[in-house]
Amino acid sequence: MIRKLALFAIAGMTAFAAQQAETAAAPKTEALPKAETILDHYVEVTGGKAAYEGRKNEIATGTFELSAQGLKGSMTIYSAPPDKTYRVINLESAGIKIESGTGNGIAWETNPMLGPRVLEGVEKAQNLREASFNAPVDWRSLYTKAETAGVETIDGHECYKVVLTPAEGKPSTKYYDKKTGLQVKESMVTSSQQLGDVPAEATVSDYKEFNGILVPTKIVTSIAGQEFTITTDSIKINQDFPADRFDPPADIKALLNKK
Amino acid sequence: MRSLAGIFLAAVSAYAQLSAQQKQLNLESFEKVWTTIRDKHWEKNPGGLDWNAIHREFLPKIEQANSTEQARGLMREMLGRLKETHFAIFPANVYEDVDAESGGDGTPGIDLRILGRQAVVTDIDPGSPAEKAGVKRGWVVESVNGKALAPAIETLSADPEIHEITLERAIASRLTGPSGGTIHAVFLDGADRERAVDLALGDPRGNPSKFGNLPTEYVWFESKKIGNTGYIRFNLFLDLMRVMSEFSKAVEDCKNCDGIIIDLRGNPGGIAGMVMGMAGFFVDRADERLGTMYLRDATIKFGINPRMGLFKGPLAIVVDGSSASSSEILAGGLKDLGRARIFGTRSAAAALPSMIEKLPNGDGFQYAIANYVSEGGKPLEGNGVIPDVEVKLTRQALLAGHDPVVDAALDWIEKQRVQK
Repeated sequence: MIRKLALFAIAGMTAFAAQQAETAAAPKTEALPKAETILDHYVEVTGGKAAYEGRKNEIATGTFELSAQGLKGSMTIYSAPPDKTYRVINLESAGIKIESGTGNGIAWETNPMLGPRVLEGVEKAQNLREASFNAPVDWRSLYTKAETAGVETIDGHECYKVVLTPAEGKPSTKYYDKKTGLQVKESMVTSSQQLGDVPAEATVSDYKEFNGILVPTKIVTSIAGQEFTITTDSIKINQDFPADRFDPPADIKALLNKK
Repeated sequence: MRSLAGIFLAAVSAYAQLSAQQKQLNLESFEKVWTTIRDKHWEKNPGGLDWNAIHREFLPKIEQANSTEQARGLMREMLGRLKETHFAIFPANVYEDVDAESGGDGTPGIDLRILGRQAVVTDIDPGSPAEKAGVKRGWVVESVNGKALAPAIETLSADPEIHEITLERAIASRLTGPSGGTIHAVFLDGADRERAVDLALGDPRGNPSKFGNLPTEYVWFESKKIGNTGYIRFNLFLDLMRVMSEFSKAVEDCKNCDGIIIDLRGNPGGIAGMVMGMAGFFVDRADERLGTMYLRDATIKFGINPRMGLFKGPLAIVVDGSSASSSEILAGGLKDLGRARIFGTRSAAAALPSMIEKLPNGDGFQYAIANYVSEGGKPLEGNGVIPDVEVKLTRQALLAGHDPVVDAALDWIEKQRVQK
């Protein structure tokens, strides 16, 4: 989701403002836990494997905001196993609607700036990975390597730094609070056929419980001097979806037929 | 008159000792310029320079400056070390001319260009007060509300750091005011006779469009066929959904055309991402790009998204000195890819979001915060898009009802058809 919206944030820019997340390295030597311990601990502290696997599908609603540009809108994400998603953002004040989806080995997006796109290569792999319904539980199948790279202090919290390397695409680094086990930040490289590889940082906070799982309800992402915020207001699970909920729209189907 | 006053005051201050307060304002201005470059330039070491050393070198000189002109000269020298365009200091009187506030969105519906140091009417909006009042293309605007335009044109034209687009926008703003009001304008008609006309000020052409924090802009889009050639023109890369939808429809409606002309004259840009979607109607390879933008912490490609309804025929793009930003990215990129032939005059050379801010001492400070390199390898900033076929608009052609730039594009498309 972060990567998908990053593309919109960059492509839509009409002015820039440089920003950098401030982190301070903690030059301590200590025995570091294995990455798998940290990642599995995250699942435990956010609700446990059973809670994750008790979900058959999910509808998340919230907001998307590009505060510097004064753009804000509603966001709804439908998701289901193994990696089916349909996401829609309506920036009502600007009359802009962005749709995207994944599933059945396909990732797509309809963005009024660029037009409909069927994603390929690393961008497709990133989107399918992010769409994985139980990503925190299933990280072993999503990454070929996970390593603890050290301890870093972020916003006053000592955090374990875990580098995750996927089979396709560049590694991302996730930061987990040593005390709580919760993820507080991610550094990544967003890949897009159109915009190339662009580094981004996401600050993750405001965990709230939905259906027995702690979920970060605020994600602030900085990319190329732009900053956007995703806020989750509600998450409903095990809902009845229309059968075609995850079908790509007609213009995407036309592109798929062309290929 | 104001410009003359500015020159007089400037001449006086050149010989007068600066007051402590003026000296302080110059120092604050220097700090603002230096800090802005340090924080906002796309390179951490701006221009490959040791920017802190630059500060150490110039601060004592600014402190010793005996006049605002001297301080300005030092700040210009400092910016000159960057060896980049769009970093400039405008004297206060020039800044005031550039920044002249119209006080409203109301317009008589006139578009103008500075041709031969005259403000010449190049377009009149359909149904506008100017059309109703009988104003014609090719007429010269001599004065507005009793103020001659010539002195401001002279002052701004004489400053090499004022670009054509800034000049034209500054002059055009003098014809605007509160909607519902009127202006009194004196024109030179086709026979060089003076015509005094009272013009009502109406809403600008197009639909009001709001994009985030940007002020409401009026956006219009037109498409038509000239013979069997498609002609597309729009004034801004805004009103995203409508403009992209109409652009798509215009290209689709023209799938059997001999060629398409996209007229970007006077289009100052807008949402950068729209160019990638538009270019996709003419380029069928997803690995092609229009260019690359370099920011301090990121490099962003302007890749093309190939669209359904691709147009493979001849594509002409028309630009002038008021085509900027997204217009230049689109025209320059498609030219570099060999996909479009460019007609008109060199574009504004302002592909980047550059800001103009007022300094504490009253001078204007312009700076860019990113670098953009078109696919051909040249920065657009400072260079602009150089037309393949240079054709200048003339007052004579306008008076005769011709548009020599569009005519040249039509001729080229016709030759392509015949050769095919």
